[in-house]
Amino acid sequence: MKKFLMFHGRECPHCTRMMPLIERLEKETGVEVERLEVWHNEKNADLMRQYRPVIGPKCGGQLRTPTFFEPVTGEVICGEIEYEKLKEWAAL
Amino acid sequence: MKTYWRCFVCNDIHYGFRPPEICPTCKVKNAYVEVTSEEYRKVGSLTTVEFAKADFRTAIEAFAAPNEFEVNPDRAKVEMLLEGIFNNERNHGLKYCPCRLTSKNFEEDLKLVCPCNFLVHETYQGREDGECWCGLFVRRKP
Repeated sequence: MKKFLMFHGRECPHCTRMMPLIERLEKETGVEVERLEVWHNEKNADLMRQYRPVIGPKCGGQLRTPTFFEPVTGEVICGEIEYEKLKEWAAL
Repeated sequence: MKTYWRCFVCNDIHYGFRPPEICPTCKVKNAYVEVTSEEYRKVGSLTTVEFAKADFRTAIEAFAAPNEFEVNPDRAKVEMLLEGIFNNERNHGLKYCPCRLTSKNFEEDLKLVCPCNFLVHETYQGREDGECWCGLFVRRKP
């Protein structure tokens, strides 16, 4: 089963809006999304920082939330995006 | 390197490469002298400034007023962001943007303190519907 990570912030409105879309994606496609909150969980924050060399260049040079990341392929997409775009990205 | 400057007339403090020609507080010309970090800290401690969320909102509204952007009219969104900004100050030391993450490089992370320099970000620059990354500030509609 395909799996990817979602780095998100508890008080990030973009992340909050993406949550129902992530649930829908999981139900519709069977992908598994591991949700990792980064502002209230230092372990998750450090994990995101570790991936900065891969994530940063595709997200304006910064660590932004939400960021969707496939650790095996290194595929990254960040920000509040439409469901179809997310689904297309998740299918890659 | 940026350093600290103190107005010898009114003790106004400036941080930068060079001092203002005219003190914005007492209006005296060529009044700044370079000072140490210790002196800056002592002068700065004369006044205790604490911001509640409502005060910060007032401050950013005043900041936006003369500019081409405004605080997002979506009050629920702003409320969530302010909650995050204040949680970050309490837990991580400064009012970091809740929609980005610090790198643990203090100088670099200063760029994430709200309000940040979002005018140069791709989410704002050249866009009619421009907004800062988190959406706290949006371009004012004509």
